[in-house]
Amino acid sequence: MERKPIRLTVNERTHDVVCEPNATLLDVLRDLGYTDVKSGCEQGDCGACAVMLDGKAVNSCLVLAWQADGCGIVTNRGLGSMDAPHVIQEAFADSGGVQCGFCTSGMVIATKALLDRNPDPTEDEIREALSGNLCRCTGYGQIIGAVRLAAARLNDSGSSPASSQSEDGREADSASRLRVSGDASPHGGEGREPDPTDHVPASDRAAKDDGEASSLREEGREHNPADHVPVFDEQADGGDGAC
Amino acid sequence: MLENVQPKPLPDVELPELHQVGKPLRRVDALGKAVGATEYAADFALTDMLHAKVLRSPVPSARIVRLDVSKARALPGVACVMTGDDTQGAKLNTDMPGQTGRAARTGSDAPVLATDSVRYVGEPIALVAAETVAIAERALELIEIEFEERPAVFDPQEAMKPGAPVLFEPDNVVARYKIRKGDLDAGMAEADVVVENTFSVPFIEHAYLEPDAGVAWVDGQGVINIRVCTQVVEHFRTVARALGVPQNRIRVRGTMVGGGFGSKEDVTVEIFLAFLARETGRPVKLVYTREEAFAATSKRHPFTITHRTGVKKDGRITATQISLVANSGAYPYLTPYVLLYATATATGPYKIDNVLVDSVAAPTNQTFTSAFRGFGAAQAAVAYEQQMDEIAKALGLDPLEVRRVNYLKTGDPTATGQAVKSAAWLEETATRALHALGERTEETPTRKIGRGFASYFQSYGRIMWFHDTSRAWVGVEQDGTAVIRCGVPDIGAGQSNSLCQIAAEILGIPLHQVTVYATDSAVTPLAGTSTATRQLYMSGNAVCTAATSIAARMKKRAAEKLGVSEDEIVLADGWARVGESPQAAIEMAELAKLCAGEGIALSELAQFNAPFVDGLDENGQGDIWPDFTFGAHAVEVGVDTETGQIELLKSAACHDVGRAINRSAVHGQIAGGSHQGLGYALMEDFSFRDGFIQTPSFAEYLIPTTVDLPATKVIILESGTGIGPFGAKGIGEPSLTPAAPAVANAVADALGVRVHDLPLTPERVLAALDRAREGSSSA
Amino acid sequence: MTLPAFELFRPATLDEALQILAETPGAAPLGGGTCLLVDLRHRKRSVDALVDLGRIEPLRAIRIDDGALVLGAMATIADLLDSPQVMESAPVLHAACKTFAAPLVRNRATLGGNIAHASPAADAAPPLLALDAEVELQSPTGTRRLPMADFFLAPCQTARTDGELVTAIRIPISNGTPSWGYEKIGLRKADAISVVSAAAVRGQDGGTVRIALGAVAPVPIRARAAEERLGSGAWSAADIAEAARLAGEEARPIDDVRGSAAYRKRQAEILVRRCLKRVAEGGEARGA
Repeated sequence: MERKPIRLTVNERTHDVVCEPNATLLDVLRDLGYTDVKSGCEQGDCGACAVMLDGKAVNSCLVLAWQADGCGIVTNRGLGSMDAPHVIQEAFADSGGVQCGFCTSGMVIATKALLDRNPDPTEDEIREALSGNLCRCTGYGQIIGAVRLAAARLNDSGSSPASSQSEDGREADSASRLRVSGDASPHGGEGREPDPTDHVPASDRAAKDDGEASSLREEGREHNPADHVPVFDEQADGGDGAC
Repeated sequence: MLENVQPKPLPDVELPELHQVGKPLRRVDALGKAVGATEYAADFALTDMLHAKVLRSPVPSARIVRLDVSKARALPGVACVMTGDDTQGAKLNTDMPGQTGRAARTGSDAPVLATDSVRYVGEPIALVAAETVAIAERALELIEIEFEERPAVFDPQEAMKPGAPVLFEPDNVVARYKIRKGDLDAGMAEADVVVENTFSVPFIEHAYLEPDAGVAWVDGQGVINIRVCTQVVEHFRTVARALGVPQNRIRVRGTMVGGGFGSKEDVTVEIFLAFLARETGRPVKLVYTREEAFAATSKRHPFTITHRTGVKKDGRITATQISLVANSGAYPYLTPYVLLYATATATGPYKIDNVLVDSVAAPTNQTFTSAFRGFGAAQAAVAYEQQMDEIAKALGLDPLEVRRVNYLKTGDPTATGQAVKSAAWLEETATRALHALGERTEETPTRKIGRGFASYFQSYGRIMWFHDTSRAWVGVEQDGTAVIRCGVPDIGAGQSNSLCQIAAEILGIPLHQVTVYATDSAVTPLAGTSTATRQLYMSGNAVCTAATSIAARMKKRAAEKLGVSEDEIVLADGWARVGESPQAAIEMAELAKLCAGEGIALSELAQFNAPFVDGLDENGQGDIWPDFTFGAHAVEVGVDTETGQIELLKSAACHDVGRAINRSAVHGQIAGGSHQGLGYALMEDFSFRDGFIQTPSFAEYLIPTTVDLPATKVIILESGTGIGPFGAKGIGEPSLTPAAPAVANAVADALGVRVHDLPLTPERVLAALDRAREGSSSA
Repeated sequence: MTLPAFELFRPATLDEALQILAETPGAAPLGGGTCLLVDLRHRKRSVDALVDLGRIEPLRAIRIDDGALVLGAMATIADLLDSPQVMESAPVLHAACKTFAAPLVRNRATLGGNIAHASPAADAAPPLLALDAEVELQSPTGTRRLPMADFFLAPCQTARTDGELVTAIRIPISNGTPSWGYEKIGLRKADAISVVSAAAVRGQDGGTVRIALGAVAPVPIRARAAEERLGSGAWSAADIAEAARLAGEEARPIDDVRGSAAYRKRQAEILVRRCLKRVAEGGEARGA
């Protein structure tokens, strides 16, 4: 097989690569050091290798490197870093949507592709957009929550909170606020159940009480003005009034 | 039935106020993973590195007549080819004495590389290391191998018949247990009704997203280093034995694991890599393909479980007789322990005085079976919870009522006579899970609605005669930040974060100021396996002990400095304060420097020992595990009566976790574990035909996607009665156990007839409906 | 696992592509690669060379031409989902595209590739058969059109000769939106190969219906006997039931890892009945 030079622009860096015709974009990206692009199945079933190729989210295992010659590629690392994470990455970190993390890069790319097209997706639309990304750890619930959190944060212009429709058409309560670390509410009372007002922002940084909307609603969950970020579906017992 | 269920009120529980433990803080590993910075085993590369491939058997049972690797060796770019001869017949001990100091069970060895025969498709035969993956693949093609097919066996019952090929000397019985408690005959005689059913569950694939991988090299001290995704750092002992070197000449550097669920509890790539690195003197990398991960690593044990239960009209169980048969696959691995778990939990979380259980595991020429989240207790639950619903049906009672009458309470003995010491919130969790299903969805002519639930109990902490221990080192730096060194493998559940959050709480340092260094057999204190829902209990307690010692010394010094008594000092938010007063306080950094300057130890290495026992008696009576977690899962399903397709409409899970260390992580474990259980019930089946794998990749072996199942509503209860840090129990395995039987019960409720075998495929559903129709039309 | 060795050509024009195919024995056209590369990886197929059609922009076009909706062979499934013309003139195809694999795959998989690969379970095939679509094939010597039903010969075998390329699929457009129904059974709701799929289309004028089935025969098929039974005009419930039964008889499926022949035959009847019911009701949007 004759090797050929190709030019890939990855995360705005230009790479001149010489490779065989049968090299996949996945393998070439990983060889170039973009190990955030994961190999999970090499046949398009798992989505772990997802990258943006000229603006479209694709499985890089099913693209031959030569087919990406002259194209712009964005991998998860291209969206942000530890020092300056992308809103989507931060939302995943905050929401419990990252467990083992192996599916995460692919999920972030699929999320980026979705939010680029549809900045305010419904839960069904989120699930549909991520249906080619397998996760074995989370059961997807907190990943869906991460996408909604990212959408809410991206939509928030800082002035008025974005409101969004939930599945049943009710609007999110724009009075939801992030709570400040340290104001643990009293526990006790009958039994020991989680008090949904007892929470802190996902990171230990100073609170951002900037009126972010909580458009975070898992299927079937009662909306509660004390809804907090990060989102995960937790239903308090109705019996003791904790909810 | 199972509607408008009211949650059973909880008893008063006073749990201490905590600053960080319990909060859904962002995990210390979350951002690195989210931005793609975290490195997994396959992401490592060294200069001058070779790439390895494994030649694996394409047939399930054969003698190797001829093996010729000469052409492969001669291929340019091939650095070495190794066969069983080259490894001097090295053996892999598939049992796990390495973590406990116990002797391995006899007969638990497997050859590292098959020499004279193969006994499952995928069995490793030869290793190649080459300059590139492509050359290594080409070399595999050049290996010449001739097989003489031999008789094979694919069913454990068949394997135990005389004349079956012997895969485990002398009689194909890999393990056998019995429980004899009370008087079965008397109990049955007392019963008003006897209900008998048989259930079966298939091979299941772990389907973690990260294929097994690793890199090995020999360092300047001649120590073989192995970078690998593993649940067990202590496998360095197993590797050392296989290579014939001392235990301190192998170093396992574990990585963040991209999912394990029990599969990475076994040795996978380690010994191959160690041999090749030693042989070539160069770093060697091995990354399994997905198909290889499917074929070459362990599976969940198939079981056939028969229940024969005597009950009174009010639902009380007077006697139970259970038999379990497990498929051990081609080699024993952890079968004896999986079988023990299944045997000891076979009766379910119920108080039954007269119990007879017989269990046996036999081998077949299929992929070896070993650990998978739930570890036999999950399979047992599929049977016992379906049996409880069948009992309810036979008696015309509400399924919840039948449970109520029989549930274990704190202080009651299990089937092996072990007294439950912690809270057993069975009715509390079941009623909440059912309550969370809300209003019943309306039926249509072609969609029947059904509801079902399952209660369960699952141990946390290992079998106590393993004499389990764990170690952790905690230290405070001079700037007031903290370091943890612990061998704990983090397999995604937040194992390492929990340790940080515990230390942060005790030392009063914000979570983001705690750094954990983990999973290195050479430099981090050994913490044992990330299995058996043990890490929070074992390593969490070790960190607790270490951090508490340091905190005590620091508080003492702070008290002296502030002129108060020690018990007035509170460590929180990076300060040592008198009560909550901001005036009298020292910043941790200042206090740390003070202590350091005076030689006050700011670090501590602690070991936590689980209780040690000696084992069960000849009637299967005795204590097995440190404690149990209790909970329930409830679902509502819609079944299309024409296509047989099942739609999961609602799913809710409620577990008493004792104390949640990180709420978000606990939520994730419950949501994720139950998701695996839902897949177990509905679509997963790692199938064979005559020993050949029918589901070799993600295209054939289906796990749920985002659009298949609704989110599970998660209800976390905290009794505070666990023996882990702050009263925590364990949740990793428990979360999975009740999900599959809940679905099976819901489907039976919808159809009016039961499918006894998982998964509940559309075809099986239709067959059950057809049988029911024929039955009623011929009545 | 590496792909086997092959030469890779990336022509800029259709003529160039045809020329390469003519001159290179053992060359195969490459569309989205979502089937072909997987087959190559598993050594189920072997090629000496691939001719990547991805640079030939005109092959991707979706346009109306001469009373037909013309879908370029290299239009991706995502392109079809985004196309208002497909939504309006071929909603049954749109519905099938929604159930096709998963979003990441849909951004690469092409309609021409799906048809040319000719799996008996090809998702696009039953809708195209029910739409009376034609396949346009070009070679250095000219262009020909073939009814879709004549294009599929056997599992993964079509009437395309080695020197030809599928360049477009042409769907005749009738006046107004047709009534349609589409059903697919898969073992899960996304990224699932069809166990059985069915499509039915009837023009606004209430003429004859076209019924097609996938994954129940060596090739996707039209259920002709069922169609004849219904004829034109109004249908009673009994008519629909009988037609569905006939369709079930026309199905000749096999057992495989996804389902038994008996189940598929039974479901062919049920899915056709459901499709016909939707057609009779005026064909509202329906996913799998």
